Amino acid sequence: MRKPDGKIVLLGDMNVGKTSLLQRYMERRFPDTVSTVGGAFYLKQWRSYNISIWDTAGREQFHGLGSMYCRGAAAVILTYDVNQAQSLLELEDRFLGLTDTASADCLFAVVGNKVDLSEEGPGEGGQEGGHGPGPAGGGGCAAPRLPKQVQPEDAVAFYKKILKYKMLDEKDVPAAEQMCFETSAKTGHNVDLLFETLFDTVVPVILRQRAQGPPQTVDIASSRPPARTRPACCA
Amino acid sequence: MMSTKAFTLVPAVEREQLMGDGERVSLECVECCGRNLYLGTSDCFVYHFLLEEKTVPGGSATFTATKQLHRHLGFKKPVNELRAASALYRLLALCDGSITLVHMLSLEPVPSGARIKGATAFALNENPVSGDPFCVEVCIISVKRRTIQVFLVYEDRVQIVRELSTPEQPLAVAVDGHFLCLALTTQYIILNYSTGVAQDLFPFCSEEKRPIVKRIGRQEFLLAGPGGLGMFATVAGVSQRAPVHWSENVVGAAVCFPYVIALDSEFITVHSMLDQQQKQTLPFKEGHILQDFEGRVIVATSKGVYVLVPLPLEKQIQDLLASRRVEEALVLAKGARRNIPKEKFQVMYRRILQQAGFIQFAQLQFLEAKELFRSGQLDVRELISLYPFLLPTSSSFTRSHPPLHEFADLNQLTQGDQEKVARCKHFLMSYLNEVRSTEVANGYKEDVDTALLKLYTEADHDSLLDLLVTENFCLLADSAAWLEKHKKYFALGLLYHYNHQDAAAVQLWVRIVNGDIHDCTRSDLYEYVVDFLTDSLDPDLVWQYADWVLQKNPEVGVQVFTKRPVDEQESRFNPDDIISCLKKYPQALVKYLEHLVMDRRLQKEEYHTHLAVLYLDEVLQQRPSASGKDADVTETQAKLRRLLQKSDLYRVHFLLVAALDWHRLARALPFLTSRSHLTDRTRGAGLPVESAILHGKLEQHEEALRILVHELADFPAAEDYCLWCSEGRAPPYRQRLFHLLLAVYLGPGPSAPELPVAAADLLNRRAAEFDAARVLQLLPGSWSVQLLCPFLTGAVRDSVHARRTTQVAVGLARSENLIYKYDKGGKEICPSPEPWSRPCLGGWSCYYGSVPAFSIYWKMLRARHRAPFCRKTGDTGSSPVCHNY
Repeated sequence: MRKPDGKIVLLGDMNVGKTSLLQRYMERRFPDTVSTVGGAFYLKQWRSYNISIWDTAGREQFHGLGSMYCRGAAAVILTYDVNQAQSLLELEDRFLGLTDTASADCLFAVVGNKVDLSEEGPGEGGQEGGHGPGPAGGGGCAAPRLPKQVQPEDAVAFYKKILKYKMLDEKDVPAAEQMCFETSAKTGHNVDLLFETLFDTVVPVILRQRAQGPPQTVDIASSRPPARTRPACCA
Repeated sequence: MMSTKAFTLVPAVEREQLMGDGERVSLECVECCGRNLYLGTSDCFVYHFLLEEKTVPGGSATFTATKQLHRHLGFKKPVNELRAASALYRLLALCDGSITLVHMLSLEPVPSGARIKGATAFALNENPVSGDPFCVEVCIISVKRRTIQVFLVYEDRVQIVRELSTPEQPLAVAVDGHFLCLALTTQYIILNYSTGVAQDLFPFCSEEKRPIVKRIGRQEFLLAGPGGLGMFATVAGVSQRAPVHWSENVVGAAVCFPYVIALDSEFITVHSMLDQQQKQTLPFKEGHILQDFEGRVIVATSKGVYVLVPLPLEKQIQDLLASRRVEEALVLAKGARRNIPKEKFQVMYRRILQQAGFIQFAQLQFLEAKELFRSGQLDVRELISLYPFLLPTSSSFTRSHPPLHEFADLNQLTQGDQEKVARCKHFLMSYLNEVRSTEVANGYKEDVDTALLKLYTEADHDSLLDLLVTENFCLLADSAAWLEKHKKYFALGLLYHYNHQDAAAVQLWVRIVNGDIHDCTRSDLYEYVVDFLTDSLDPDLVWQYADWVLQKNPEVGVQVFTKRPVDEQESRFNPDDIISCLKKYPQALVKYLEHLVMDRRLQKEEYHTHLAVLYLDEVLQQRPSASGKDADVTETQAKLRRLLQKSDLYRVHFLLVAALDWHRLARALPFLTSRSHLTDRTRGAGLPVESAILHGKLEQHEEALRILVHELADFPAAEDYCLWCSEGRAPPYRQRLFHLLLAVYLGPGPSAPELPVAAADLLNRRAAEFDAARVLQLLPGSWSVQLLCPFLTGAVRDSVHARRTTQVAVGLARSENLIYKYDKGGKEICPSPEPWSRPCLGGWSCYYGSVPAFSIYWKMLRARHRAPFCRKTGDTGSSPVCHNY
């Protein structure tokens, strides 16, 4: 088995479509998926690099595994469902903490999936509606599609929160607009864009990691886990 | 989910062999080291068996366990764990909180009584760091709360090397190098016992469920995770394999690459580590021990011991292939790479790839099939042999045994579906085309190319011809029969040609052109045959078909002679033979003679004359049909004229060889017996121009000019005549011709008003060609000077020029003479200025524009005298130059 050069982890609440996104990208199809048990992973050859992409289980039961999957990750894809405001909130409440074990210069992407289910056009449903949970306010629309509950701005705001949480300077990381996506695993909308943008941004990170240090297997002895040291060094 | 048979469960120790009829007694732990099988019981006994494996011819393994000894360890508690340290010949037995060292064979405790006390569980380090072969590293969970201890165990003593405290109470441990993998109360961690650094893995509530910590290889552990997961974790705290999904109540796990085996109260389940899929489920009730010992997996209930015997990987793979599970088979095969010697693996893997390729092929998944055939280095004949009749009858190929697939042939594979057959054939075509020039085809290029030829033929594919005209290895007999069957006669000809049977090829093509057999591959086949014969190096073949090509089209057919390389023509084709062959085809003969005379410039009068005669004959034949005398000059006539003018050879022939070859010609053209006859013919036939040319060649210029002037009144032609006739001759010859022309203009004969005008015109335009003095005598007195002004001016100027030139020459000669005399006599002389001072010297330089010529000469003379040159004239020495002429 080839050893991967870098790792990307998909995180997010159950049923937001992590597995579907990954299958859409890797296998170009949208099969019915069952709830992921534990996790699964794919190896993707991108240019000369092998990148492993981990699909994690969103179920609460497997939540504890997230930290281990994220350990040393070069990028994390935080996934929510644009029609479930709660799923974005969960990212902040439950999943962001799992990324503490990721590598220090880990990249983040915020992905709102299932845009095919909501009314078309960004910004159409409730500009000020915010991301409060619960049903959408105005139900004047007879279309079977639901008004979108999460707007791209909300994702961008969340992305900025991540940076704050990670104590990262906006200048040092890719812009929010570049790393927030709205996708549909069903139609394939933006799926390639998401993964390929991420691969392109992650390769330099991998190269930097490779240039910097010895392999991670001996890190444990010499270095402290980054998540723990970081707060200490920041005022 | 489709299942695989990866293991069979074989009983090893029956319950009767254990503890007799003790109903209460149960099996607590198992250890297996080589052939030694140790069992620990709830009543503190250790049993030693020798385990013998026998493989019966049918392929299934059986085990017989022969009891060696059993010994009571001296406690009242069950034996919790047994571990053999074979290098020390010791067995470590955990019982009642202490680890006792006993001899592996005698089961006697070591005399020193060395033991580790206060242990609730222990693990041997299979990847020890000490490097001391006479000790083993043992890690124990201490009875002290939250404490781990590391010992070195020697033959008869133990030594503690490390004690660590853990954040929570440890419940299970495994070791690899410096790393301990621990199940704590609420989570799993990796702990480096040399640095004390801990790494969280993931939470797990060990109080609710029994944790499993199992070292599965270098730096990697298998752990029971939440939700019945089998999780993989490395010492770095990451997972490199996706988890497998067990049932919730797994009590034991083991690894037998590439499988993870798990045991719960009802079943033994087998998952592949390669794709995480569950592969097999074996019902097994009340199992409570599952462990692997150097590749041997042992499972036990409280009463009996069984061995899980893995089926040979090859068998598993074959089973997968048999159920068309190509992907899984390949994954398994690749995964097996590290367990099988390289050479053996490669052979096996190649075969699997080939088999997989045929499975894909049978499903018409050609892209995948091709890739598998390619990577599996398939003997391409295996594939060809699926297609009936494609392999040459002479091929020595026999399919590999055991067979790579189950199909007799393509018809069986497609069940007669013609559309599928066509697709398969199309695939084979492209595949063979791709591989025929690669090393895949080495050793059986004949088979490949012959098969390809057959496919192309059948499909009426354009590439058939490309195949045959480039390097190929098509077998003649087989291919010829096939092409003939499919009426590909043109291609068959190419095949014959490629096999150096040009005669057969041409014969076939000729039959196609003649319409005896039908093949419309080429509409220009006749031209093709002509080109072919032209390029043919076989004169016999050319001669054989010369008549045929000439009959079809003399002008094109003659190319077989004219277009071949000159050196070859010279060495192998005698022009006279060709000419006699061409007699029946006048057009061809003309072409050939033209080729000889004009292209090859053969200087043989016979050809020239013959060509001229043929031209003439043709012109004469055309003549009557042309309306009137002034009909346009035909192409042939122009050719004839050109030949008559340019060539000097036909005349010589007439004069010298009249009796010999001319005789033959004369027979063909009886009216031509002499040169004069020829001129008569031409004139009589109304070919005055040609007559004039011939007269010219006979030096009968007067007659020629007379024809041109009087009969044709073509004055430019007459002038032209003077020019070409005198080409390459001395000037007087030309002058003579012009004078003759003038004489014709002015002389007696049918007078016409335009003749004097033509004469004056001639004189004025070509003054230089005449001797003015003679002209003046000829001219009638009545002509005005005005009429001849340009001529006279020119004549006078010429005359003056000639005189001066002569004077200069005389002067120079004299001075030369003087210098010579001075050199000889050595006395002072002064040259007379006479020769050059009186006539205008400028005339020299002016006329010729060559001042230097004269002045150099002048200077030369002065230099000789080393003194002012001529005092008499007061000349200072520079050359007088005059421009006033």
